[in-house]
Amino acid sequence: MNTILTGWLLDVYPNETNLTLWVIGDDGQRHRLVQDFTARLYAAGPAARLRQLWQWLSGQPVPVHLARTQRRDVFHEQSAPTAAEASAAAGRDGTDAPQLVTVLAVHILQPARLEELFRSMLTAFPDLTYYDADISLALRHAAAFDVFPLARCRLELRGQKVVSLLPLSSPWEIEPEPVPLRILTLEPDTDPGHAEPQALVVSHDRVRYRLPLHDRTQLLVSLAAELRRHDPDLIMTAWGDTWLLPFLLQASRERGLPLPLNRDESQPVLERKEHIYFSYGQIVYRGRQVQLRGRWHLDCHNAVLWNDYALQGVLEMARVTRQSAQDAARLSPGTGISSMQFVTALQHDILIPWHKQQAETPKTAMDLLRSDMGGMVYQPTVGLHRDVAGIDFVSMYPGIMVRFNISPEVPRAGKDPSTSSGQRLEPAPGEPGIIPLTLAPLLNKRLSLKSALLTLNRHDCRRPLYQALASAHKWLLVTCFGYLGYKNARFGRIEAHEAVTAYGREALLRAKEAAEDLDYEILHMYVDGLWVQKAGCKSPPDFEALLADITARTGLPISLDGIYRWVVFLPSRVNSRVPVPNRYFGVFQDGSIKVRGIEARRHDTAPFIAETQMAILEILAHAEDADALREVLPQAQAFARRQLGKLRSGQVPVEKLLVSQKLSRELGEYSTPSPAARAVRQLQVAGKSVRPGQRVRFLFTLGKPGVCAWDVPRPPDPHSIDLPRYRTLFERAVDTVLTPIQQSVNGGVDNECLYLFPPDRSLPVFGSSSSITRPVR
Amino acid sequence: MGRTLPSATQVFLQEEAAFARFRRALRRSDQHALDDLFSSSRQHLAAAQYASHALPFEVFLLSMLLEEHKEVVRMRQLLEEHLSRQP
Repeated sequence: MNTILTGWLLDVYPNETNLTLWVIGDDGQRHRLVQDFTARLYAAGPAARLRQLWQWLSGQPVPVHLARTQRRDVFHEQSAPTAAEASAAAGRDGTDAPQLVTVLAVHILQPARLEELFRSMLTAFPDLTYYDADISLALRHAAAFDVFPLARCRLELRGQKVVSLLPLSSPWEIEPEPVPLRILTLEPDTDPGHAEPQALVVSHDRVRYRLPLHDRTQLLVSLAAELRRHDPDLIMTAWGDTWLLPFLLQASRERGLPLPLNRDESQPVLERKEHIYFSYGQIVYRGRQVQLRGRWHLDCHNAVLWNDYALQGVLEMARVTRQSAQDAARLSPGTGISSMQFVTALQHDILIPWHKQQAETPKTAMDLLRSDMGGMVYQPTVGLHRDVAGIDFVSMYPGIMVRFNISPEVPRAGKDPSTSSGQRLEPAPGEPGIIPLTLAPLLNKRLSLKSALLTLNRHDCRRPLYQALASAHKWLLVTCFGYLGYKNARFGRIEAHEAVTAYGREALLRAKEAAEDLDYEILHMYVDGLWVQKAGCKSPPDFEALLADITARTGLPISLDGIYRWVVFLPSRVNSRVPVPNRYFGVFQDGSIKVRGIEARRHDTAPFIAETQMAILEILAHAEDADALREVLPQAQAFARRQLGKLRSGQVPVEKLLVSQKLSRELGEYSTPSPAARAVRQLQVAGKSVRPGQRVRFLFTLGKPGVCAWDVPRPPDPHSIDLPRYRTLFERAVDTVLTPIQQSVNGGVDNECLYLFPPDRSLPVFGSSSSITRPVR
Repeated sequence: MGRTLPSATQVFLQEEAAFARFRRALRRSDQHALDDLFSSSRQHLAAAQYASHALPFEVFLLSMLLEEHKEVVRMRQLLEEHLSRQP
């Protein structure tokens, strides 16, 4: 007889014959279930070769069901174009609608053996084109049943076997029903990279205690008992991937004492190696991973963007991308957005190419010159400005993709949006493409959260949750644009990427024209945001007409980020006549501070210096308006002097002077070692390894090598700290925020400016962009 | 995320570097004036990028001219104000 179970879907993974599902039931029990599931992949190629593949597959030990069918390949026209096809495509300036291709569908009845079978297929038939070959089983399952991690489900069971699975919730709900997750936290008492931990701190609910690490047997027995008693759904750790769990697993093996880290003890703990990759011009290090079956393991030090959105953000990433929570925490937003596209493709019967073989459409040099551009980045008007409105297009690039139907397979009208001046910007005709289909629900959810945040009381308890969710979405949406132009992205296409930036530039220019038509002065423009000012405009209603006009002209939503009491756009440090686009600070009317590009935002600024800079800004934020800055400036200057006094007299804790920098390459590749590389060399001598992409913490010290790595066993000598160097860095950070304020208070005349810490006078101090103070012969 | 073509800022820096020998041979005071011209051209990099002109240095020259003209207009206004205050 069949029974019904409702609850939350926790984990899905393959076992030998089918899939294992873990469900947190409404009855409070954790149910281990199994479900039959068929994984599918497709092969395309000449009919004769497909027939041979059919015969070959029929003789393989992996049970399969075979069928000939037709499916949509969005890149069909573009795969391996002949010269004639390429020139024809150049003439059309775009893509054709996806065409149906005849494929051999291979249904694999034991999903766990998909990878093994595909590898043999590749060896035997390397010339065929494969689709849907390397999609994870969790994603296939999510797409097939429209479920996601922690989805509320109704399951019909025969014994332990799932007969039917029905989702009762959607990943697009603004406020998901809270899930009764049992969480156990394990953390060593100190950073294992810095010193040898002595104890393990265990906590759950309101219980918190320490287990000494030296007695391994006692540790394993106690921990195993705790795991069985509390039976957590989620083990949260600090350094669990890189140190703690490997340490516990090794101790368990050495002593022959089983440790039930996995809830499903029939499965091994999944260990993945560390890896290093480049992303957005930066080297990124991902530590090794330890993933569990039947429950989750999350390491807050090995989770992407944990500082931005913590556990709620990770759960939201898992919900909307439908990856398992353990993957969602550790993989980049790029993988997240790809997963979302895969689910859309699977649900719409669009083929996912295994290896994309699509080249850029040929274009003329002039076309390349016009299209190979990014967003518009202006040089701001340097100096302090009062009553400035910051207005932003809401999720501009994803909004453009959805609004104007930009997707690799959607034919572009071949029209540059900049030539349609004065006309309405229209979406590409036809059905929404795979990118708008994927993004629209995510974008709508983000917009709903954003508008809810605007109306929520400042102290409303939902605010942090909404902010974490919106922050998780932000990274997915940001990456989505990059992936459209990424050659390895399965649904990327450079022309679509270029179309997005073309619409972006057009929208920003239309916004500028709207503002200028209404007599606003444009102080700065940055890709999707404008800073505008107009005499007499000081409150949100004063800007409503402008916002409405911009939306009417562009078709894109725009919102008021806030009105600054004052904002300072900074010049380049090298040449004070050259403005820098994204280096500014300001105070909104509600007293909140916004900073970009200054020392306090940089990861390599010592905490003491960053905190001093922010504290100065907080003192300045007490001024009700720009005129009142004159009154608070002496307080800020006095505070800076006191802080400098602390630095000089050695009253600053050493930890507050630590500088953290990333190792950008292997140590042997440096011709002139950076301070970070010199610190890493010290760590190597002490037997510790640091890989490219990892951060290293150090102090600047006197003499050679000029640095002292923080994580060497011997503590640094406080007398060796290079105080003059810290003083220079300190003064630079203080001057960044105080000099423009002093200039403004002194009437904006540079040569009257009194520097709190006068810069090196051997360099001439240049005037502001509007005045030349040096005599020109 | 590579780009096929250099950005306007990169082109600008290349063009500026191409005049290094010219700059070196100038008097110190003239070097400062030349630096000012280049700095003023830099104010309009966004527009230069958007123009996507085949000969970018023409746009940089025009940007210098534009900033110089703004200075002329500003000084003309100052002069007129000054003259109007004369008895």
